[in-house]
Amino acid sequence: MIYPQAKFSPGGDRYILIEFGNEMNLELNFLGQGLGKVVKISGLKGVIETAPAFASTLVHYDPDVIRYQDLVLELKRLIKGLGSIDDIELPSRLIYIPCCYLDRWTAECIDDYREKICDKTPDAKMVAQLNGLSGTDELVRVHSGTEYWVASLGFWPGLPFMMPLDPRSRLTAPKYNPPRTWTPKGAVGMGGASTAIYPVATPGGYQIFGRTPVPIWDTKQSFPEFEQSICLFRPGDRVKFVPIDEKEFVDIEQRVADGSYVYNVVDYQKFSVSQYQKWVNSLDINKRF
Amino acid sequence: MIEVIKGGLETSIQDYPGRIGFWDQGFPQSGPMDSWSFRLANLLVDNSVGAAGLECQLMGPTLKFNDARTIAITGANMTPMINQQPIAMWRSIKVVAGDILTLKFALDGARSYIAISGGVDSEPWLGSQSTFHKASVGGITGSAIKDGDQLPLGTANEFISQQVNPELVPPLTTNKQWEIEVVAGPNDDWIDKVGHQRFLESEWRLSSKSDRTGFRLDGPDWTFTDKAHNKAPEHGSEPSNIIDHGYPLGAINLAGQTPIILVSDGPSMGGFINPYTVISAAFWKLGQSRPGDRYRFKQVTVEHAQELRRELDNKCQNTSLIGEK
Repeated sequence: MIYPQAKFSPGGDRYILIEFGNEMNLELNFLGQGLGKVVKISGLKGVIETAPAFASTLVHYDPDVIRYQDLVLELKRLIKGLGSIDDIELPSRLIYIPCCYLDRWTAECIDDYREKICDKTPDAKMVAQLNGLSGTDELVRVHSGTEYWVASLGFWPGLPFMMPLDPRSRLTAPKYNPPRTWTPKGAVGMGGASTAIYPVATPGGYQIFGRTPVPIWDTKQSFPEFEQSICLFRPGDRVKFVPIDEKEFVDIEQRVADGSYVYNVVDYQKFSVSQYQKWVNSLDINKRF
Repeated sequence: MIEVIKGGLETSIQDYPGRIGFWDQGFPQSGPMDSWSFRLANLLVDNSVGAAGLECQLMGPTLKFNDARTIAITGANMTPMINQQPIAMWRSIKVVAGDILTLKFALDGARSYIAISGGVDSEPWLGSQSTFHKASVGGITGSAIKDGDQLPLGTANEFISQQVNPELVPPLTTNKQWEIEVVAGPNDDWIDKVGHQRFLESEWRLSSKSDRTGFRLDGPDWTFTDKAHNKAPEHGSEPSNIIDHGYPLGAINLAGQTPIILVSDGPSMGGFINPYTVISAAFWKLGQSRPGDRYRFKQVTVEHAQELRRELDNKCQNTSLIGEK
C-alpha cells in the first residue's frame, strides 16, 4: 500500500528515512525519486544529500544546521507539493545488457557458499521453485522477458535496483541468510522483487543466476557511455537482458577488454505513466508467457 | 615526498570527512574510521583537520622522508620509531630528509594515524582523496599503499612543538570491552520487545569477517514483530528482508540473523532492515576495536546523539593542544 502519510524515522544523529509505502510499484518510486529531486531543487538548508529508493528516500543532514523535528516539517511541506504521477512523461533510455544465464561463474560462487557457509538450494532452482515455474529454463525465459525499470542506484557504486515493468515477469526471492562474502563481478540476481547487477566483486544477499560481461561502471571512462558519469545507469532508464551463451560471454569480454565493444543504448523514447498503466491494466497478470 | 619502504597490513590515504554527496549513486563516504584521532593528528602538524593523511590498520608501514617535515602519530599504539628510536605519540615530531619512520603491530586499538605537515597531495577523485580500495578509487593507485609507492606531499608548515592535552586523548580500551551508543531506528518497529531487550542486554563479539565496509557481530538470535513476518512478497521472505532502501552510515544492518554495522566504506542501500544506528560520536570506538572485542550497546535519543557529536567536534579543535617552548 501507499501510506496515507509518509513515515519518518531517525537513522542515528544525521539521517532520516522517509517511507512512502510498503510495496514495489512505479508510483512509490516516483515519490521516492521526486522527494530527492525537490530537496535538491529547493536547496533545503542543512541537507547534505539524499538516497531515493523503490519506496523511500533517505536524507543525510547536518544536525548543526537543522534539527530533526524542523527537517521533518520541511520535508512534509515538500512532499505535499509532489503532484500526481499520472501526467508524468519522461525520456527513458533502453539499455540492452547481454546476460549469460545459469552460468558457471555464479554456480561456482554458490557452490563455494554452500560448502563454506551454509548449505542451501542452488539459487536458480530455488527461485524457480518458489515462483511455481517448471524449472530453471522457464526462469530464464520469464526473467529475460521484460524491460526493467531502474528505480535507484545504490549498495555499491553504479549498482542498479530494478523492477520488472511487465507484471507477468514478476518474481520474488528471499535474500541470503547469512549474506555471501563475495559475488562475481557482473552477477545478475534478485532479492525480494528487485533485480540487480553487481558492478564489481562484492559481498551480497541476492539470489544470483546470471552474469554479464559488460561493465556497468567505469572509473577510467573508457567507453563513450561513461563520459557524463562513471555509472552506466541512471534512475528512469529501462534495461532489457539479452540471453547469451558462455562462448558469447567470452567473446564480449574480449571486446570489452580491447575497447571494441559497442554498448546497445536506445535513446529516443519517452515513458508515459498513463500509457503504461493502461497497458498493465489490460493484461492477465496470472499468465506467464 | 614519502617513499614507502613497507606498506604495512592495510595503510590507506584518507581525508576527512571523505567523499560526500554521491550516496545516491552508491559511493560511500570513506574517510578515517577513527576521525577523532585523525583530526587531532592533523591539528598537531598545523594542517586543517580534514587534510589527507594515512590510516594504518593493525600493522603499520615503514616510510622514508625525503625532506624536513612535521609529523604526528595518533590512534592505536604501533610502537612508532624514527631510525629505530622510539618516538612519542600525540605530539608533533620533526623529521629530516632520510629519516625512516617504522610502525609495528598495534599494542592497543586497531588503527594508527600518521599526519604529515602539508598533507598527502594526491589527486582528489569525486572531491576526496580518500581511498575506497574495494572499488579501486582514491588515494594514489586506488588501493592501500604498497612497497615502493611514492607519496607526494603538500607544502610543509612551520614546526610548532605541541601535544594533545593528555586528558583529551581518546580513551582506548584495555579490556576489549566497548560501550557503543546507538539510536533506535529506522526499522526498530520490525523487532519485538524481547528482541530489543536481548540486543541491548547482550554482549556482542566483533567477528574476524569485518573490514572497512562492515563489522559483523556474533551474538544471540533476533526475534521480530508481526510486520516482519506478514508482508508483501516483494520484501523477500526472510523476516529481516525489506524492500531495498537507503542505509544510514552506522546502521546496524540485520542480514538474516547476522547484524553488520555499516562503516566508512559500507553500502548505501540494500534490502535488510536496520533496527539501530550507531551514532557518529561513537564511530571512533568502532575504528579502534579489533576482532574478538566485545560490544555492549547503549540506547540514546537523537538529541543526545547530536549533543555527543557536538562535544566530540569541540574536542577536535586547537584548544585540545598544549604548546611548548
